[in-house]
Amino acid sequence: MLLQVENLRMHLHLRRGVLQAVDGINLHVAEGETLGLVGESGSGKTLTGLSLLRLLPKGSGRIESGSIRLDGQELTTLPEAELARDIRGRRIAMIMQDPMTSLNPVFSIGDQVGGPLRNHDIARGTALRSAVVDVLKRVRIPSPEDRLGDYPHQFSGGQRQRIVAAMAIGCTPRLLVADEPTTALDVTIQVQIIALLRQIQHDQGVGIILITHDLGVAASLCRRIAVMYAGQIVETGPVRAIYRSPSHPYTQALLAAIPRLHSKRTRLAAIPGQPPSLIDPPSGCRFAARCPMRMDQCAAPPPTVDLGDGHSAACWKLAN
Amino acid sequence: MLELAGITKHYRTRNGVVRAVEDVSFTVPPKGTMALVGESGCGKTTIAKIILQLERPISGTVRFEGADIATMSRAALHAYRRQVAAVFQDPYSSLNPRLRVHRIIAEPILAHERPGRAALDKRIAEVLDIVGLPATAATLYPHEFSGGQRQRIAIARALALQPRLMVLDEPVSALDVSIRAQVLNLLQDIQAEFGLTYLIIAHDLALVEHFSSDVAVIYLGRVAESGPTEPVFANPRHPYTQALLAAVPLPDPDHVLSETAATGEIASALNPPSGCRFHPRCPHVFAPCPATVPPAYPAGAGHHVACHLLKDSPA
Repeated sequence: MLLQVENLRMHLHLRRGVLQAVDGINLHVAEGETLGLVGESGSGKTLTGLSLLRLLPKGSGRIESGSIRLDGQELTTLPEAELARDIRGRRIAMIMQDPMTSLNPVFSIGDQVGGPLRNHDIARGTALRSAVVDVLKRVRIPSPEDRLGDYPHQFSGGQRQRIVAAMAIGCTPRLLVADEPTTALDVTIQVQIIALLRQIQHDQGVGIILITHDLGVAASLCRRIAVMYAGQIVETGPVRAIYRSPSHPYTQALLAAIPRLHSKRTRLAAIPGQPPSLIDPPSGCRFAARCPMRMDQCAAPPPTVDLGDGHSAACWKLAN
Repeated sequence: MLELAGITKHYRTRNGVVRAVEDVSFTVPPKGTMALVGESGCGKTTIAKIILQLERPISGTVRFEGADIATMSRAALHAYRRQVAAVFQDPYSSLNPRLRVHRIIAEPILAHERPGRAALDKRIAEVLDIVGLPATAATLYPHEFSGGQRQRIAIARALALQPRLMVLDEPVSALDVSIRAQVLNLLQDIQAEFGLTYLIIAHDLALVEHFSSDVAVIYLGRVAESGPTEPVFANPRHPYTQALLAAVPLPDPDHVLSETAATGEIASALNPPSGCRFHPRCPHVFAPCPATVPPAYPAGAGHHVACHLLKDSPA
C-alpha cells in the first residue's frame, strides 16, 4: 500500500480549548489510485491533508496519536529534517486551491518550477533548465522554453494552476495531495485541469488524494471516496457505491441537498441545523443532532460497519 | 417589470479600455426569476451594479415598470431604490461587524421612513421571523452567527423595505453545500409568499436550472443565449452554452465530461475577439464568426441565440 493512515488524530490547542480537527481517521491510497476526501468547510479534510506532510498550524497543531505510513515508512515519528529532505515536495507533493497565492509573484516561472528540483538535488545547470522545460511541457504550457523568464501575472488562471501542478510533479512524487485544485477556476477551465490530473496520474502512476467539497468533481476523478464530517470519516467506499447506494445518513443528505443538472425541479432536501463545534463535540455520533434517523443509541460513538467491497460507514442504524 | 436595452459599460484603465458589458438587453418578467450565468469576468456583476445604480452605463437604458431610471425625478428614484434590494455573495463582508443585527436591518428602513421605536422593533422582528431567526437575534453582532445565519440576516435586511425586485449576487456560493439548500429554499418560499421578482447572478449551472424561470448566458460582456430556463438547458443552441453544460462535473461516476467542447482560455475584455467573442474557442467556427457580431436569432418562444449557425437553421 502506498499510503496507510491509521487512527490519525490531530488536534488544535487553542486558547478557547482543544479543537478536535482530525479525530481518528483511517484511510489508504494504492499506487496510481485517486481517493476523494469529500466534506464541507471545517470538516477537517484540509487539515488531514496537511497532517500527512506534518504541515500543522504553528503553535497549536499537534498529532496526538495514530500512524501515517508511506511505502511502509512511518512519518509521524520521522525527524523534521528528514521529512523536509525526503518527503515534503519529494515523495508527497501538494497542489493548493488558489494558484495566485501558491505562486510567488516576484519570481519567474522557471525559478519556481525549478525550485523543488534544485532543493532536492535532482538537477542543476542546463539539466535543470531542460527538466523544467520538460515538466512544463507535461502540464501543456505552450512553448515553455520561451516563457521560463515570465512571471505568474503573465499567465491566465488555468495556466497558473498548470504551473502549480508542474511544481508538484517535477520531483516525480509518489503521492499528490490536491486540495480543491479546481475550485478557483471557471467551469470550462476546470474541465481542462481535471483532464490534466487524470493524465498526470496515467503517465506517472502517482497516487492522488483529492480534497474537495464538490461532489461532481469528486465523481469525475476518484476511484474511491471518503466522506468527512466534523473531523471524522463517516463513510468510505468505491465511488459507485458512495453515489449509487450511500449508506450513512449524512452522505445521503448531502447528495439530496445539491441541485442536479437536467433533473426534475423539486424542492431541495435541506439538512437542518449546522455542524457541531469541534471544541467539546458530542461524545456519540457527531451528525446525530441533524440526523433524520436519530435513535437513543446515537449518544454513543457509532461502530464502523463493513458493507462489503471496501464500503463501510459509521452508523448505529447499519449495525442493528 | 425590469427591462435592459442595449446596456454598454466600459472602464478606462491604465492598460486600455475594458469592454465589460456590450449591448446587453433582457427583460425580467414580474414574479419570475431571471438568472445571469457566465464565467468570471463576463460582466454579470457589472450588470447587477448598473441595475442597483452603483454604476452608470455609457449607453443603453434600464427601465423599471416602464420608467427609465436614468431620467427619473429624485422622488421617483427614491421610490425605485426602495423597491429594489440586493443580497451579496459574502455574508462576512456584506454585514458591518461593528453593528448589532437590529441596526443592520434598521438602516435601510431609517433611510426611507421615520417609524417609532416600537414599530421599528416590530418590523425587525417580523423580517427576522421570515428568515427563520428568533427576535433575540437583533441584539447580537454578525460574528455570533454562522455563515448561513449571516446570509439570512442579509436577506432580512433586503426584505426590510418590502422590495419588489431582489438582486441576488451569488447568494449561496460562499456557503457550505448542506447550508445552501436551506437558503435556496428560504428564498423560494419568500418569493412565493410576497410575489417578489428575482434577478440572480450565479456561475453554478445546476443551481440556475433549479432556481430560475429565465436565463441569460453571458460570455465576455455579451448575451450568448437567453430565454426560458427549460428550453435553454434542455436544448442549448449556442456553442458556448453547450460547452458550459458539457463541462459541469455531475455527481455521477458514470458521467463522462467533455474536454473538447471549449478549448483554450477566456479572452481578455481589454481586447475582446472581433465578431462573435466566443469564436477563438468555438468548435463550430466558420467564416462570418470573426467578421461580424451575430444578432440574436429567435429559436422558439422567447429563446434567442446570438450565433451565426442559426442564420439558416432557425427554430
